[in-house]
Amino acid sequence: MQEYKEIRRGHIKQTPIYLGKFFRMFIYKNDWLVLPMAALIAVIVSTVAGEYMFLNMEGTMLGSMALTCVCLWNGCFNSIQAVCRERDIVKREHRSGMHIFSYISAHMIYQAALCLAQTVITIVVCSQFGMHFPTGGFITPFFRVDIAITMFLITYAADMMSLMISCIVRNTTSAMTVMPLVLIVQLVFSGIMFSVGDAPYTKLTIAKWGMRCLCTQADYNSLPMITVWNQLCKFADYDVNGVKPIGELVKYISENGLRDDLMAETGAAQAVAEYAHTQNNIVLCWLCLLGFIVVFAFLAMLFLKRVDKDKR
Amino acid sequence: MPESYFSELFKSNTTYFINAALMTFGLWKIFGKCRIDRKLAFIPFWRIYRFAKAADAEDTGLTWLFLQVLTILLSPLSVKLSSASEEGTFFLLYAALMLLLSFAFIIYQIRIYSAICKLFGKRKLWIIGWLLFNWITALIWGFSEKYKPLYIVGSPAEAAPLSGIEEEASDAGLTVNLNKRTAWSGMKKVTLLRDIHFTLKPGRMVLLLGGSGAGKTTLINAVIGYEKADAKVMLNGCDVYKDYDSLKYDIALVPQQDLIRLDDTVVKTLTDAAVLRLPEYVKHRELTARVDEVLNIFGLDNLKNTEVSKLSGGQRKRVSIAMEYISNPDLFVLDEPDSGLDGVLARDLMTRLNGIARQGKIVIVITHSPDRVLDLFDDVMVLAKDADKTGRLVFFGTVEEAKKFFETDKIENVVRMINRSSEGGEGRADELIEKFMEVSHAGV
Repeated sequence: MQEYKEIRRGHIKQTPIYLGKFFRMFIYKNDWLVLPMAALIAVIVSTVAGEYMFLNMEGTMLGSMALTCVCLWNGCFNSIQAVCRERDIVKREHRSGMHIFSYISAHMIYQAALCLAQTVITIVVCSQFGMHFPTGGFITPFFRVDIAITMFLITYAADMMSLMISCIVRNTTSAMTVMPLVLIVQLVFSGIMFSVGDAPYTKLTIAKWGMRCLCTQADYNSLPMITVWNQLCKFADYDVNGVKPIGELVKYISENGLRDDLMAETGAAQAVAEYAHTQNNIVLCWLCLLGFIVVFAFLAMLFLKRVDKDKR
Repeated sequence: MPESYFSELFKSNTTYFINAALMTFGLWKIFGKCRIDRKLAFIPFWRIYRFAKAADAEDTGLTWLFLQVLTILLSPLSVKLSSASEEGTFFLLYAALMLLLSFAFIIYQIRIYSAICKLFGKRKLWIIGWLLFNWITALIWGFSEKYKPLYIVGSPAEAAPLSGIEEEASDAGLTVNLNKRTAWSGMKKVTLLRDIHFTLKPGRMVLLLGGSGAGKTTLINAVIGYEKADAKVMLNGCDVYKDYDSLKYDIALVPQQDLIRLDDTVVKTLTDAAVLRLPEYVKHRELTARVDEVLNIFGLDNLKNTEVSKLSGGQRKRVSIAMEYISNPDLFVLDEPDSGLDGVLARDLMTRLNGIARQGKIVIVITHSPDRVLDLFDDVMVLAKDADKTGRLVFFGTVEEAKKFFETDKIENVVRMINRSSEGGEGRADELIEKFMEVSHAGV
C-alpha cells in the first residue's frame, strides 16, 4: 500500500508564499495607490486642522480627532476587500492544503508594512503642511516616533478590524456596504465627536483609545484654552447702560499681561482626567490598541476557517 | 357578551372579512387545479406556504411563514413599549426591527408570487395583482379556465426503490458506496443523493453526466471527501474520509470557474501551487523540474512568463488544471472543464486528460457537451433526480453499454430523457433507475 505520510510545508513555511503574492499584487495590481492616497488625505487634514495642533486645546482636540479619523480611514480601506475579493480562490487553496493561519499571517505582515508606510507618509506630510510637532518624546527620545507608534497602532487596529470583516462577508459588495456603518459606529460610539458620557461601550472602539493616546501625548491638559478669551474679545463692545464691562475687562487683562494666565486657567478648568500626561496612560492606550489587533486577527482566522462551508 | 364582541369585530372589519372569504374561495379553486388538498385554503398563512411549495419555492414559503409568525409574536410588544415612555430607545429599536421584518416579508411575498406566475406561465406583472388585490387575482386565477399550472410539482409518482447493491472495495482504484447525502435547506433536511455505488479502475476516463441540480458536484464533493456523506469511499485501499488529511494531495478537483490569481505569471502560479502541494523534502531543483514537466504536458511552455490575466479562456483553464496536476494525483476530477471552449480547444483539452488517464490515473469529467469528445471516454456515469428530487445513479458502464442502455447514439439525448417535464425533459429518470437496477442485478 502507498505510504501517504508525507509532510507538507507547515504554517510558518507557507507564509512567505502568500507574502510574496501580496507584495506582487502591491506592485502590479495598483495596491500601491493607497500610499499616495494617504499623502493626499494628510495634506487635506493638516491644512484644515493642523495649524493649531499641539498649540492650544481646541486645535489639539480638532487635530487629534482628524488624525484619528485619517488613521481609521486608511486602515479600514487597506484591507476591507483583501480577503473577500479572492474568497473563492482561498476556498480552493484551503482545499489543496493552504493553512488559514499562514494566509492571515501573510496578510498581517503585508498590512503592517502598508500601515507603517502610511503612518510615515502622514507624519512627514503633516510636518510639511503646518503641523507644529513638539521635539522631545515622552516614551522614546523623539516626539515624532512616539506619535508614529500611536498612529501606526490605530491604523493597524482599524486594518485588522477590516480584515476580520473581509473574512466574514462573502463578496466585495457586502464589504463596501458594511464598511461605512463600521466607520460611523467607530466615530459615534467612541464619543470623540458626540458626547456619549461614560458609556462602557466607548471602550470597545479603536477611535476612543486612539484619541485618548494622541491627546495624552500632546499634553492636552497643559495647553491653553483660547475660546474664552476669543469670546470675551468678541463681546468687548457689549454695552450695559452706557458701560462696556466686558471691554473694560479685556482691556485690564491685556494691559496687565494676564491673557496667557487666563488661557492657562480656563484650560486647566477644562482638563480631562483620562488625558493625564503620564507614561502609564500612553502605555495603557498602546496595549489596548494592541489588544484590538490581536483579537481582530484571531477572529479573522476563526471566521475564515468557515470558508469551506461556503455554498457554491 | 362574546356574541356582541364578535358582531362588533365583524362590523368594524367587514371589508377585511369579505376580502378574506373571497381570497379563500379563489385559493380553494386554484388548489384544485394544482392538486393541493383544497381544505388547506382555509388555513391562514399555511396556505401561502403550501402554494409556494406547489410553485417549487418551498424554501421561500417557509421563510415567509417564519417571518409571518415572528411578526405576530412580536406585535404585542408594540403596545407595551409605546406606553412606557422611559423605554423610548427600546421602542425605536423595536420599530426598526419591525420595519426590517416588513421589508423582508414583502420581498419574500414577491418571490412567492413570482414563482406562482412561473408555475402558471403568466407575466410577472401579476405580482402587483397578487400584492395589492389578492382576492380579485385569486378569484380570476381560480375560476378562469385560462389559468392552469404548467406542471405539477411533487406529483404522486413514486421514486424508484433502492438497489441494495454494495460494491466491494479493491486495493486499486476508487470504490464508492454512498448510502445517503443530506443537507439542511432552510429549515428542512433534504436528501441530495442516495444509493450510489460504483467502482472505477485506474487508467479510466469517466464521463459524469446529469441534468442541472442532479447532484453531480455534490457527488464529486462527497467522493473526494470534501463534504462528507453517509458513505464509504476507498481510494487505492485507503479510506478517503478517515485519511482525508493525507489523501487530499492524491485527489485533485478542478472547479468549474478558473479560480486563479490573475496578476501572477503562469510559472509563478504553478511554482506556488507546487510549493503548497508537494512534500517538503522535494528539493527546489526537483520542484522546478516538475513545474517544467507540467508546463510541457499542458502546452504552456511558451506562456510560462505571461500573466494569467492575459491568457485566453482555454489557456487559463489549462493553467487551472495544471495547478492540480502538479502533485500527480491518483484521482483527478474536473467540473465542466470544457465550458466556454470551442470544439477544437475542448478536444485538445480532453485529449490531454485522456493522456493523464492512460498513465494509470482515474479521471472523472463533468461535461454538458460529451458527444464531441465521446471517443476519449472509457466509462459513463449518469445521475438524475428521482420523484423525491434526490440524486440517484441512473447508469454506470462503458460508452457502448450506455448507448445500448439508453437506445441512442447521442449521449446528450440522455439528459433530455432523465430531466423532469418541468425542466423540458421526458421525466423518465425513475423508470431508467429501475431498469439499471434490473440490469445490475442480472449482472450480479
